[in-house]
Amino acid sequence: MFERYSQNSSYDEMFDSDKNVRPHWEALKNNLEKMGLEQLHAKQKEIDWRLEDNGVTYNVYNDPEGLNRPWKLDPIPLIVEEEQWNIVEEGLKQRCRLFNLLLQDIYGEQKTIQEGIIPMEIIYSHGGFMREMHGMQTPLVIYAADMARGPDGKIWIINDRTQAPSGLGYAIENRLTMNGAMQDLFEGISVKRLYDFFETFKSLFQGENGGRNGEPLNVLLSPGPHNETYFEHAYLSSFLGLTLVQGQDLLAKNGALWLKSLKGLRRVDTVLRRVDESYCDPLELRPDSQLGVAGLVQSIRAGGVTMINPLGSGVLENLGLNPFMPHLARYFLDEELILPQIATWWCGQAKEQEFVLENLERLIIKTIDRIGEKHTYVGKHLSKKELKALRDDILDQPHRYVGQEEVEFATSPTMVQNSIEARRAVIRAYTIAQNDTYTLMPGALVRVGMNNDSLMVSNQFGGSSKDLWVLGESQSIPPIPFFKPKANFENSLENIPSLRAENLFWLGRYLMRSIITARMIRTTLKYMTNASRYDQSSNRQAGEMLMNALTHVTMTYPGFLDDETRLALFDEIASVSFNMARVGSLAQIIAMLSNTNTYAKNLLPLEASRIFERMNREWSQFCYEAKPSPRSMIHNLDKLLMQLMAYKELIQESLFADQGSVLYEIGARFERSQLLISKARALLTPVQDTVSEYEVLETLLSTCESLNAYRARYRSSFEMGNVIEFLLLDINFPKSLISEIEGLMNILPQLPKFKNATYLSRYEEPIFEAFSMMRLSKLDTLCALSGDEYIRSELDSLLLALSERLLLASGEISKTYFAHYDE
Amino acid sequence: MTYTIYHSTRFFYQHEVGFSHNLIRLQPRDTILQEVLNFDLIIEPVAAEIESYDDFFGNHLHHLLVREPHTVLNVVAQSRVRIDFNALEQLEENRVKVLSLTYAQALERMMFLTPDIIAAKQFSLKSPLLPIASAEILNYALQSIKPERSLYEGIREFIERIFNDFSFVSGFSDLNTPVETVFSEKKGVCQDFAHFALTALRASGLSARYMSGYIETTSHDGGEKLFGSDASHAWIGVFFPGFGWFDFDPTNNMVPRDQHILLGYGRDYSDISPMQGVVSGSGSSHLGVMVDVSRE
Repeated sequence: MFERYSQNSSYDEMFDSDKNVRPHWEALKNNLEKMGLEQLHAKQKEIDWRLEDNGVTYNVYNDPEGLNRPWKLDPIPLIVEEEQWNIVEEGLKQRCRLFNLLLQDIYGEQKTIQEGIIPMEIIYSHGGFMREMHGMQTPLVIYAADMARGPDGKIWIINDRTQAPSGLGYAIENRLTMNGAMQDLFEGISVKRLYDFFETFKSLFQGENGGRNGEPLNVLLSPGPHNETYFEHAYLSSFLGLTLVQGQDLLAKNGALWLKSLKGLRRVDTVLRRVDESYCDPLELRPDSQLGVAGLVQSIRAGGVTMINPLGSGVLENLGLNPFMPHLARYFLDEELILPQIATWWCGQAKEQEFVLENLERLIIKTIDRIGEKHTYVGKHLSKKELKALRDDILDQPHRYVGQEEVEFATSPTMVQNSIEARRAVIRAYTIAQNDTYTLMPGALVRVGMNNDSLMVSNQFGGSSKDLWVLGESQSIPPIPFFKPKANFENSLENIPSLRAENLFWLGRYLMRSIITARMIRTTLKYMTNASRYDQSSNRQAGEMLMNALTHVTMTYPGFLDDETRLALFDEIASVSFNMARVGSLAQIIAMLSNTNTYAKNLLPLEASRIFERMNREWSQFCYEAKPSPRSMIHNLDKLLMQLMAYKELIQESLFADQGSVLYEIGARFERSQLLISKARALLTPVQDTVSEYEVLETLLSTCESLNAYRARYRSSFEMGNVIEFLLLDINFPKSLISEIEGLMNILPQLPKFKNATYLSRYEEPIFEAFSMMRLSKLDTLCALSGDEYIRSELDSLLLALSERLLLASGEISKTYFAHYDE
Repeated sequence: MTYTIYHSTRFFYQHEVGFSHNLIRLQPRDTILQEVLNFDLIIEPVAAEIESYDDFFGNHLHHLLVREPHTVLNVVAQSRVRIDFNALEQLEENRVKVLSLTYAQALERMMFLTPDIIAAKQFSLKSPLLPIASAEILNYALQSIKPERSLYEGIREFIERIFNDFSFVSGFSDLNTPVETVFSEKKGVCQDFAHFALTALRASGLSARYMSGYIETTSHDGGEKLFGSDASHAWIGVFFPGFGWFDFDPTNNMVPRDQHILLGYGRDYSDISPMQGVVSGSGSSHLGVMVDVSRE
């Protein structure tokens, strides 16, 4: 199995330089050999399948296929012996304690700067230094360190991560997957458990005195589904029992932070922050941020909310500090630094700067922070011109740069296709600080490079991951087995976050809008292609009315109402269908639907997202096709409609009440009502000649999927009065406007704020009015025409009034349940 | 002598705003030269919450939360500030002493990291709105600031050249106009001149800060009218190691004495913008500012 394994580094984790297996790997080697390469390969497949089935993904930026890439886990773990790990543990605890003291000093008295322990430039020119946090308490809670074994066999510190360290969720999932798929490998090996660590982690959120509301409300603040590690945000939040939120879910007032939920505002105790610190508050921090909460910094200043890690902790992710860490250890702790770091020269000092500039071609140059677009330069890969530019940049702001020795890190055996090869591995370990107690997770996320000489080991560049096994006995036996967390939803409708509620509302609206728009386009197209065969004037008139109706329903004015457009009918149809940039076009509605789908995804069954992704892919491809024929357009619209209908059925079947299905239904009913009103105003109010009226009514009924029902009910040909009655006023026909509005009236009381109220709420009033207006209408009055009128004005004003009521109600629902500004 | 300052800012919103967070820097700070006797803030509609605190630089801030639906937000700040003539005299004595410090000596002294030099050095670094100056800008400054020459005189001359070479043109620039453009076009307003002077002086290795405040626009003895009447004013402060901070006003080619009232200072405008806010909802907004400075 390992005969052809060639170690190409100065140090390999498994074999010594004489190709003898290191003692602490022997048991694993036996287990691997017992399993055999073929079996191991099969296991890799099983791991891939498990991870995919559990939806473990990460996103890659700037890559069209980058969303939801499957996470990769190598079947061979990395092993660290207990004695070695004890050193790492002491070293990381020391480093975390040191950082904590330094952080309090930076945002407090700044003694380290005044006494010359560290140069002021390292802090003041670092992009993570937040002057807004001056004077605030900033305890560091989670500290992650990237480490690797150097040529000397010791474990070195490479990077410090203090801002909002990622990877913990993947580390848990890696271990659970290994437990599930690779049981055979554990045989005869005692691996430390992660259980205790996560109990400690969870205890961070217990809060003092059980939280401010009696029951603590803790949230995980995520940038949302497009973030690189969104899977992890969802995973950790359910694992730790936190509510997963985004900036728009929260509101700052009264010196505290509040979660907008359907029932109202709920005060937040602790925030586990995964939004980059500078994006957390558009008022005091980056004004262009859409991810934060205005006033958040003020609520921290007022002491009303706890944030993990605190804002401003990013200043510790600072390579400029490296050369000064030994001084800081002596200054704060009177200790020597336990773990070695990569040799680092800070260019803010004359001698160091000179050294770096002289050795630019063989060093790795980095900026002290990672704020700029580019922050790492590998000297040997730079052209003469690039070297010159870098030299100028260093001379402009020397204190912003460090030079580092290129270190050849140890390799570790890794499955690559069908063989085992040596790959460089970087270990990310996690330490938690709670008051003055520091706890290190006895395990880690290990990332391995994609190819053999890969210096960059990061998921953004491909590559795989490993589980880390720390040998030794665990201190306690877990009272209950390490269970796999179930998706944790807030358990009642009242508590669902407003943002989710709003998304479901819009999911209903956009889904209905796309279905109805697609049907309208399809019908119009079909009519046009057929009508051109006859070319009778009445057909032309009916065709024009349908096209105008399409413009009204999609609100893509001037559209077909413009005389010049009439000359290029297919161009306009194509534009209304495919032009993503045009507001109201089908392509744009699908894009909006796609957005709401992304946010609703974790509520829907896997099949729903698969159907949606496929539909989205096929539809986008078709949108880019040059000059499609009407026939292929109809064909593709048919396909789109089929997929949309399947998606709709899956949503309606699987979304349950406590998840907020009522909001989806309210959204869907509002949208269907409004679009039916638009269609009716365009097609039922104008007076037409008998032939084209017949054509229009037939087409209208077919776009409403009501043709057969009409025939069954009236057993007559299409007649204006009957159609108005059937589509608008017939309370026994479930697709009629009055039935939709009655449906709204019946489900609105399910919304939590005014349940069982004596009086109607502000959003129920307009719906009740709309219902009564319809119920009190008489067909004869609505159809009545005085001599020379070409519009049924009674009908038109009724429809207009109904539309206004619906708009009013929808606005009131937004205010009451989504915005919460007046609470 | 006491000044009364009236500063009103009106925001007009296209759509009704029901919830808005605002940060306001309109309360002048106390300095050696000035004492703020009282300060009033009037908000329309009435703010649901007002908290005040000091920022990193020691400037006074107010955080406002307005929750009454409105389309116009009116913020009126009124302050009374007394200028201390004894302190002014002290400043003039120091000004005589600082003349002896040459540019070369100043740079050498900046190497000794005493606490006051460390504190001043943060104003020598690149700041949010001000990049590292080009060689051309540095050369422009170095024509006046010479190693063996009195630093104070050099800067005084540099300020005078800005006044002569640049023209005061409002509407040409905004917050996003780069200093290099101000330099190549040779025009702008007080804020641009201050920013330009800061980049040039920082490139020369000096610590310099952005001073924001008010200026008495009509001289009490019937002299020339000064620029800066329509809104707040900006000038610069320069650190002289061993002597402290001295202010210069490039817009009016003068050294601030008793006609400048300081609101606060920072690295550049972004640290001390008088008002910033985040409102609920969409739509555009515009604002109207009115400032009046008068002697009691």
